[in-house]
Amino acid sequence: MLVGAFACAHTPQLLVRPATEDRDLVLRVQAAFARVNARLAALELDAIAVIGGDHVEAFFLDAVPALAVYAGRECAGTFGPYRYRFPIHEPLARAVVEQGIERGFDLLYTQGARLDYAFYVPLHFTMPAPPVPIVPLHVNVYLPPQPLPRRCYEWGEALGAILRARPERVALMASGGLSHFPGTDRYGSPDFDWDRDLLERLAAGRGRELAALTGAELDKAGNVELRTWITLLGAVGEARADVYCYEPSWHHGNAVVEWPL
Amino acid sequence: MSDRAHYLFPPARAYQLNRCLYAIKSDATFCARFLADPAAAMAEMGLSTEEQAGLSPIDRDALVSRGAHPYLVFMADLRLRMAREPGSLEYF
Repeated sequence: MLVGAFACAHTPQLLVRPATEDRDLVLRVQAAFARVNARLAALELDAIAVIGGDHVEAFFLDAVPALAVYAGRECAGTFGPYRYRFPIHEPLARAVVEQGIERGFDLLYTQGARLDYAFYVPLHFTMPAPPVPIVPLHVNVYLPPQPLPRRCYEWGEALGAILRARPERVALMASGGLSHFPGTDRYGSPDFDWDRDLLERLAAGRGRELAALTGAELDKAGNVELRTWITLLGAVGEARADVYCYEPSWHHGNAVVEWPL
Repeated sequence: MSDRAHYLFPPARAYQLNRCLYAIKSDATFCARFLADPAAAMAEMGLSTEEQAGLSPIDRDALVSRGAHPYLVFMADLRLRMAREPGSLEYF
């Protein structure tokens, strides 16, 4: 069963705050994460399937999968003093790989890749207690050529069908965005207008339109990571987004969203 | 501002350079070696003299022009700053 759908920003400055970041803004985004945490707890989940855009952490240039599923026993990652280790919902992960392949998606699977902060920054703030197992789902967002938005949406449609047919209570969480340009000369000037227009469309249940975006449009808007949201949108269809927060910092459009199902 | 994409296909000639940035970002042992002796760590990675000049200290534009992935430059730089000045950060 697919019982919940969320999207969360994951910028590391929300976890480890340098003096350059507005503390009140960080706390407001964390307050939105706390709402997600409460919702995840209320949903009595068996698993959280997290759709993340790897920051060249699980996959370096030795192998760059467009779409991948982590299907090991547990998944671990480190960030400075933080040490994360999450159990994986193995039956669900395996079902996603097997049925995804059956449905025509040539997925890579891994049982040992490292966990990227795209996954553990949101989970740091939103994982309910007691914790539930996860299934990390990778979408290549930073290493061109990335999968087309249309393909992400189609994968999301298949993923939604797979999850709805399962006995477990599962929440989907897309991690990433919104506009930011890490490492480029546009780092200090994200496209907040683009983000606000996007959020209005999502609140109106027009997520399907995002499948028609091009990779060039996403890159230009600082939204290469939106592929994780587009994947989730394929799974939730016409559901309307409840925007918990949109907090533009000097370098990042921080959004936290739920699609009530 | 150009119409050039912000993130480009990483050229094969920059593989070692990107590998070194990745190691600084994601391999704490290598990052410590880099902090202790950048020249030795970069030589270990097989970087050219020009690549080494761009990496220590980090010159983003020089590295990106040599094919470094902008995100890797960004996060390698952040990890080095986290390692050098851990007290300057608030940990949640």
